[in-house]
Formats: sequence, structure tokens, C-alpha cells
Amino acid sequence: MSTPVISLRGVGKRYIKYSDQPMLMTAALRWRQRTKRSELWAVRDVDFDVDEGESIGILGRNGAGKSTMLQMLAGVTAPSSGVVHVDGRVSPLISVGVGFHPELTGRENVYVNGTILGMPRKTIERRFDEIVAFAELENFIDTPVKFYSSGMFVRLGFSVAIEADPDILLVDEILAVGDFAFQLKCYERMQKIRERGTTVVVVSHNLGGLRTFCDRGIVFDHGRVVHDGSMFDAIGSYHQLLAVSEADASGDPTEQRQELGSVEIIESRLVDADGSPAAHVNAGDTLVVRATIRAGRDIERPFSGIIVSTDDRDICVYSDSNRNQPHPPLRAGEVQTYEARIPANFPTGSYTVKMSFHRHVDDYRTVPLGRTPPVSFYTTGRPLVGGLADLAAAFTATSATG
Amino acid sequence: MTPTQASAGALDAGAEVLPREDFVVTTSTEPVAKRPARQRDHAAGFELSGPGTPLPALLSTLWRTRQVLFVLARKDFFARYRRTSLGLFWALGLPLIQAVVLTVVFTHVVRVGRVVQSVQGGHHFSYAVFIYSGIVGWSFFSTNMPGSATSVVDGSGLAGKIYFPRLMLPLLVVVTGLYPLIISLGVLFLLTLALQHSVGFEFLFVIPATVLVVGISAAFGIALSALHVYFRDVKFLVQAVMSVLFYATPIIYSLSNAPASIRPFISFGPMAGPIELFRMATVGADSAWPQAVAGGVVWFTVAMALGLYLHSRFDRVFVDRL
Repeated sequence: MSTPVISLRGVGKRYIKYSDQPMLMTAALRWRQRTKRSELWAVRDVDFDVDEGESIGILGRNGAGKSTMLQMLAGVTAPSSGVVHVDGRVSPLISVGVGFHPELTGRENVYVNGTILGMPRKTIERRFDEIVAFAELENFIDTPVKFYSSGMFVRLGFSVAIEADPDILLVDEILAVGDFAFQLKCYERMQKIRERGTTVVVVSHNLGGLRTFCDRGIVFDHGRVVHDGSMFDAIGSYHQLLAVSEADASGDPTEQRQELGSVEIIESRLVDADGSPAAHVNAGDTLVVRATIRAGRDIERPFSGIIVSTDDRDICVYSDSNRNQPHPPLRAGEVQTYEARIPANFPTGSYTVKMSFHRHVDDYRTVPLGRTPPVSFYTTGRPLVGGLADLAAAFTATSATG
Repeated sequence: MTPTQASAGALDAGAEVLPREDFVVTTSTEPVAKRPARQRDHAAGFELSGPGTPLPALLSTLWRTRQVLFVLARKDFFARYRRTSLGLFWALGLPLIQAVVLTVVFTHVVRVGRVVQSVQGGHHFSYAVFIYSGIVGWSFFSTNMPGSATSVVDGSGLAGKIYFPRLMLPLLVVVTGLYPLIISLGVLFLLTLALQHSVGFEFLFVIPATVLVVGISAAFGIALSALHVYFRDVKFLVQAVMSVLFYATPIIYSLSNAPASIRPFISFGPMAGPIELFRMATVGADSAWPQAVAGGVVWFTVAMALGLYLHSRFDRVFVDRL
């Protein structure tokens, strides 16, 4: 076994927040009083090794330290404590537009970008056709890149980065920009270069993609590693973090006052059929959303609903108890627990679920009263299912040749 | 394994994939497979344990990646003339027009040439050539200084994503400026030939002159670009100093025209040395040229030492303040 490609020991990165005008002026004005410097550890006490050919996914909420981590792996910024050791050439997938000169053609930009990524001119010439073919830009390669769509940018950028044949490829979110077919193609190409010993580090919120591509997941929270292990477990750990943060958010008074404030959400949670908290379910499992509310006033004809949405806020399904299964009337101050059971018939991915409360004014008009904060969960779906929900359709084939 | 099988493998792992024909990847990957086995590029690796980068390491990385400098410089220069109908003519045309204007103005309109000549040892020379040889060096310095001083901050888009020695950013501005400088030197040669009627071997003095003006500009650029990250005032300070320095440099007058009381300061100005060398190549230098050149070398040394110190200290942490 060769030595690790990446090795981090006790790595921390501290940022110092300065006031907006830290220049000579303020220095002179505050000559005597000590300037208050607030420190922020974006990354702290991080240790891990990455071996040749591994593919790791880095997960975490916004501000968890993922980007700082990536910057240190790229060598763009140095740690404030500890040691970052990188043995090999790093090639970051340069984000859209960065490093591309708008007036130059795709062809010229391939040379410029390739050179920045450390490819000798000869190598670029040799691989030029492949770069263009992979990016599917044969017809536009002599067009100035300012006429490119963002998808074309990403394709060209990815293509150059991957043909730079680095020892370590850093991929930051940007694949989300390309269309689905191209994403798949990229993941496949990354798989190929891994076989040749390239190490790949991906930072993404696209859990489906991470799970397909990465063997190992590292979850960051507040700058620290909270999980380092298989990608499957990492996604579970990440979802727990999300669930915790949403529980925090539900303490936010503005959340409770929304929608007329006539119901107060006391508690809401997502559990599985056994009653234990659910963050990670398999398709077809039963999910139970349970919410306890206190009525702020008398409510004659209450009913509840549930909304399941994807990561990107597309609503998958909405369903409510409505007229057919009316809830009993509520008196002011009364506390009631509602439950909704649904089969988790969704394709692989992250979802959020919310319970909503309404009342009937008459048989046709309704008024919303309140809504629980979203709770997120991750579904491992059946293979080859796409769209927003899995219809669990049954298929048959019958011979009709007689 | 064929590509189709490969994608089917990915699907089994639970990908959210729509089973549509056009999502099956059919790119040929044979050429990748044909490549020789990977050799880990140990030289490109790095170990970071604090903000400082030892100077030798910084310079060796710069040397290893020097190709980037020239590719980017060429790109920056040629991209300037994209979408202009006259294209590269502008690169040649502007200094040419400037030279013609100077000639017309100072031979037919404002006849101040005699004042300069009287103190320049009395020999006859063209005042237009005199001024143009001053302008060549000065405009290189004054057009590239503001850009190189802010280059590290301006380059933050790229610098935040990928590492290269940040020294490269101010150097890039200076190297890009070499293209117009070389064109101007050609124009200077033609102008000297046209107005002085002879160009001798002394014209070779443009070589040390160019080296000095490029060296000083690079040194200033390196030092100022580092300072500018922490003190954004540098940008405006440079603009202010430039407008003063134009008059405090012997461009439109000769060193000997300056009053004796301030002459030492003027001959010690950062651009006095290169300009005297350009004069030596064309119309003959002022007698005080050795002081001016020595002054230029001192400016170069001090600025370069400061610049390299700052860059080796903050190279990997500039990005935190961009």
C-alpha cells in the first residue's frame, strides 16, 4: 500500500473577523483602545487520511467548514494549526466562468485552463479532441465562450479538469449545474479515472450522486468531523444533523406565530412504524408524522394535511384529512396530537415533510391555521425509479401471438 | 466492461436514474485506458502547517509553473484587441500616433527644444525623440503599476479556487505589458532613424534600459500587490503618486533643467535611471545618469526584497482577506 495521498493532522482554520474599515484610519482612531477581534474557527481538529483511488464525499450544512476544507486541500489557503499534507497534483473543478476568458474561444480557453491546471502544451494538444468530445462542444469550440450557456461552461470546465489527469480531483457542487445526462457521464468518467489511481473528493448536497459515487463520507458540523465512515452511514448522520437543526428552528417564535397564530405547534416529529425517530428509510416503509398542537381559540372544523417536498422545494405530494375524515372540534387551550401515516414511496433522495393545520369555513372554503417546521429524511429508493414519487406500479407481459 | 454495463452497475447501487435511452452514456474511453500508468506527481504536492512559505519553495514553484505566466500574458494581450475591427493595428497604431503628435507639436508648435538642448551639452538632437524615449519607459511603468498593485485582489476569483504562487499575478501584468513595450521600442527606433538620421550601436542601451524598467515595475508590483491585500488604500495611493511622479521624473525635461536644490531627488526617482538609459540609446544621457541608474538599482533591490518577504510570508493566506 502506498502512502496516503492526503493526510491531515490536527488541522484547524481560524478566521478573524475584522470591522469593515480596519485600515490606517481606524488603527489611528483606536490607538489606545484594543481593537476587538472576533475569531471564528471554520475548521477545527480535523484528522483524516485519504488513500490513492479513494472517493470521499464531504457533507455538512452550510457553514460547516466544507468549503474551507476544500480550499486547504487545494492548497489555496494554509491551516492556522495542524498540518495538511498533499502528495500529488491537485486539480479543482473550476467553477463556472472562473479562469475562462469570455472573449477567447473555447479552443483558446482549453489551452489557458489546461495550462493553469498544470498540463504541458504537448499534453493539451494530444488530448484536445477528447476534451472537446467529452464536453460535447465540437460545434462551438471556436465560439467565444461568452456565448456559452452555463451548462456548456461546466461541461468544458469539467472536461479540462478531468483530462488534466490529476492525482487528486476536487469537485465542488458545480456538477449540479450540468444537465442530468452530463452529470451521469461525469460520475462515470470519475469512476474511470479512479481506476487509474486518481483520488476524488466531492463536496455536494446532492445525496443521490454522493451515494452512487463515493465509498466514504465525512460529515462536518461546526468545523469538526462528526462522522467518517461509509457513505451510507454518513448520509444518516447528516440527516440527524438536519433534524436537530430543524428542531432548534422550531423554537423560533416567528415560526409559531405564522398563519394567524390560532394553533401553537408544541412538538412535531417524524418516526418510523416502530415509533423510533426516522431520518433514513427504505422505499415502501411507513413514515409517521406526529404533531402536538395547542388551539389558541375555539376551532369548529379542523383538519390536517401533509406536504412532502424534495430538496429543491418541489412539492411531491400534498394530502389532507379534509371533509371525509374530520377531526373533532377544538376548544381554546386544548392540546391535541395528530398523526399521519404514509408509505415512503419515493425515489432515492432527500425530502422534507411538514404537517399543516386548517379549518373549514364551510364545505368549500378553508383557512390555514399553522404548519409544523419541515423535518427532513432520506429515502433509499428502488433502483431505476425516477420522478417525484414511486407509483409502485405492477407490470405484466402476456403473449398475444396466440 | 462496456460503457453501457458500467452505467447499469451505477444504477444497481441505487442511483436516482430515469430509465431513458438518451441517459445511457456511450462516450468512448479507450484513449484513457491506453495512457501509461499514472505516476504520482510528488513535485506538485505540498505540506502546509502555517501561513509562511519558504522563499526557495515559492520561487521553485514559480519556476515550475512559469508556462502559465506566458500563456496567460499572451491571452490577456491578444484578448484586448478581440472584436475591434482594426485588431492588432491598435497595438502598433497608438504608440505611432503618439510619436507623430509629439514630433509635430515639438518641432512646429512649441519650440522648447532649445531650452533642453542648451543644458544637454549643446549638441543638436530632436526634442521629439528626447521626449519619446522618456515616454516609452514611463508609460510602461505608469500603465502597469495600478494594475499590478491591485492584481492579487483582482485575481481572487481564480486564486480562491486553485493554488499558484500569488507572485504570478503582479508578474502577469508586467509580462503582458512587454508586448506593447516591444512595439514602442520599434517605434522609438523608427523615430530616431527618421529624426536623427542615424542610429548607432548606442541604441543597444535600450536593452539594459528595458531590463531596469521591467525589473523596477515588477518589484514595485510584487510589493504593492501584497500590501494592497491588507491596505486597500494602496490603490489610490498609487494613482496619486503616479500623477506627481510624472513631473518629478525627467520625461519632458532633462535632469540638468531641474533646479540644483531638487536635482538629487529627481535623479533618485525610481524611473530616472531607466529613462536616462533610454536617452543614452537615442539622444545621449544627462551627465548625472550614473546616479540615476544607481538610484534605480537601489529602488529595485529594496522593493524586490520587501515584495518577496511579504509574498513568502502571506502567499497562502492572501485568499483569506480577499
